[in-house]
Amino acid sequence: MSAKIEGRGLCKTYVSARTGDEVEALRNVSFRIMPNEFVSIVGPSGCGKSTLLSLVAGFATPTSGEVLVDGSAVAGPDPRRGVIFQEYALFPWRTVLGNVEFGPMARGASFDERQALARRYIEMVGLTSFEGRYPHELSGGMRQRCALARLLANEPEVWLMDEPLAAVDLQTRNILQDELLRLWGDGGDPALRRAVMFVTHGIDEAVYLSDRVIVLGRRPGQIKEVVAIDLPRPRRALRNSAETGRYIDHIWSLIRDEAAQAIVEEAH
Amino acid sequence: MSDSLRTTVLPRRVAAGAGAYWRRYLRRCEFVVALAALAGLWHAVSVAVNNRTLVPPPLVVLDAWFHLWGDELPGDIVASLVHLGIGYGAGVATGLLLALVAARFRVVEAVIDPFIEVLRPIGAIAWIPIAILMFGIGRGVPVFLIFYAAIFPVFINTLAGIKKVDSKLLQAAEMLGASRRMIVTHVVMPASLPLVLAGARLILGVAWMAMVAAELTGANSGLGWRIFWYQEFFAMDKVMAVILTVGLLGYVFDTLLRWMQARITRWSADGSEAEQ
Amino acid sequence: MSETQLRWLPLPVFGSVLLLWELAVRQSGQLSLYPYPGGVVEAAIRTVGDGSLLAATSGSLYRVLLGFVIGGLLGIPLGLLMGLLRPVNRALSPIVDSLRSIAPIAWIPMALLWLGIRGNAALFIVSYAAFFPFVVNTVQAVRLIDRTLINAARALGASRMLVLRAIILPSSLPVILTGARISLAFAWGSIIAAELAMGIKVTAGGSGAVGLGQLMVSTLYIRRDVNGLVLYMIVIGLISLMIDLVMRRLQRNLTPWR
Repeated sequence: MSAKIEGRGLCKTYVSARTGDEVEALRNVSFRIMPNEFVSIVGPSGCGKSTLLSLVAGFATPTSGEVLVDGSAVAGPDPRRGVIFQEYALFPWRTVLGNVEFGPMARGASFDERQALARRYIEMVGLTSFEGRYPHELSGGMRQRCALARLLANEPEVWLMDEPLAAVDLQTRNILQDELLRLWGDGGDPALRRAVMFVTHGIDEAVYLSDRVIVLGRRPGQIKEVVAIDLPRPRRALRNSAETGRYIDHIWSLIRDEAAQAIVEEAH
Repeated sequence: MSDSLRTTVLPRRVAAGAGAYWRRYLRRCEFVVALAALAGLWHAVSVAVNNRTLVPPPLVVLDAWFHLWGDELPGDIVASLVHLGIGYGAGVATGLLLALVAARFRVVEAVIDPFIEVLRPIGAIAWIPIAILMFGIGRGVPVFLIFYAAIFPVFINTLAGIKKVDSKLLQAAEMLGASRRMIVTHVVMPASLPLVLAGARLILGVAWMAMVAAELTGANSGLGWRIFWYQEFFAMDKVMAVILTVGLLGYVFDTLLRWMQARITRWSADGSEAEQ
Repeated sequence: MSETQLRWLPLPVFGSVLLLWELAVRQSGQLSLYPYPGGVVEAAIRTVGDGSLLAATSGSLYRVLLGFVIGGLLGIPLGLLMGLLRPVNRALSPIVDSLRSIAPIAWIPMALLWLGIRGNAALFIVSYAAFFPFVVNTVQAVRLIDRTLINAARALGASRMLVLRAIILPSSLPVILTGARISLAFAWGSIIAAELAMGIKVTAGGSGAVGLGQLMVSTLYIRRDVNGLVLYMIVIGLISLMIDLVMRRLQRNLTPWR
């Protein structure tokens, strides 16, 4: 089986707006994500994981190297590569229904088609009674569900997620993680699952959700290790298992020192 | 926005039961009482000075006002509104269009920028003498001045509003498959609306002042002109009446725009609170 | 076009516009009808040399600063009162809002009657103009004070007086200073308007104190010097810029924590 997403020798350098210096965000990052795989990217602050995601999404172009999806190079954002942003990026002037139907509308679906499609996915994430609300009336967890529904309504082949659960509280986060797994198809037929690239700060989250975890180091961002998570699915019962804990410890040991360094170096 | 930001610093007494109803009623009265007190003060001063021309008593002014309504005031109001309508309308339309073009083409923005930086500090008022030279005393001066006063802030404000649109929203729209045109109509425009509207209110205030100044000095119609026209006859009661009308109209327009702003941007939690 | 190229674009564009303008007017031969860059420079040399520009400008500036101070001395306390006491705010705010919507220069006839043609009438207009931004911004400043900061101070044992001095005043300073900046800019615009109006409309007797506005009017009607007019416009603009720069610098220095 060939890779769904492949990064070859990705390098990204940009000029910092704040200091004016050149920042090497990524150096020589190569990876592969298979069609039904859930892969997380973790690393300390400043390791370039969000940069990596925006390269795959097509929002930025690599300084050198290339990103291939289904064998062809990425040339810009595309509905087939759906993105969830950390701050949801919901359109504040549109209701939940309005947000979710945006994708189908942009692609030319008729009014009835897109309303039905949107409603289906809104129901899937459990927001049906809120479909007429505006984003500012929703809690963080509900906004993320809305963003998820909006992503799914376009039925993308690849899910790209940039720290989607960073802005919600811990309890909501655990609930949303399970919902995410359910929607992804954690307990069902592996062949129906989409490829996911999930960027996060939370190592426990990465281990709990993923099939593989790519660990990046910082300055410059490069791959330290790729850890295969050999835990059975569905993962529901395994949140606090010993096996899970071992994986978490291992990954933490890889980045602990750099994480401590990052705290000091990120001061203005 | 947290509630703590909206309370006053001194503690509020807790309202209880029937007392609450009375309190609300009393609140409305506070304004009326203050107004009455002001009118009373005015009247007292006018009696003390005892010179109808120097300090026209409030009742005399009120009387003159009612008279004017049946006389020249409606015509003056219409004339002023025509000046305002054409000048403000043209200024807003041109400013918006230029801002859209400048947002799209960086070269346009770079070319327009120096002219704005140079002309903006000068202010509409300073243009009055040149405007009088160009258009002569008449309609041209106020319309031109209002247009000038409106176009700069509209352009600057709209451009800033467009630039402030969260880039993540644009990325999201792109990712969802929106065409370039769709991004402009369905994302950029709604997103920049709160700032543009807030600006429009401010600019109406500026345009209003420009209108009065222009009519006062370089026109032969409109409320501003009429103020001085009555002054020539020392009919100070009529002068006061027109001045108060100017203030009233300005307040009405501002309230109208504020209402519109609140209605159109009810989706934005901070959009309606931004401008008070 | 690259970013740096775009940044330098204004200079040549502006320069060529000036050049074309100068050439066009000279070509038309109507040197007294249209203003042109060379003529403006010539007018500048002349009016600076004979002192008229300096006298007029300082006259206007003096009244602006005085009006600004008066407006502040009256406006800030009222704003504090309205901001701190809800009932006062409710009572006075519609009145303040209505008076605010009356353009300052509309009061010229009354001001002339009460205070005479001398500079006092203009001073009244300027003070009136400077007053309202102070009030509005001070009220806003008080409203924006973060309650949690006050609670933190109280929890640390501060008395009411200390809270006022150490929390309320510094917290509200940035917005009050913004009000001052707006007020001064507005005052400058108003003095010019007032002087223009008085110069144009008041024909009886001498115009008394002479400011930039009156100078513009006499240049318009008596000298008919378009270049002088453009020069005065530029001076007005330059002073606006200076006021803005000075006030912003002041704001930055007085509130370094922003």
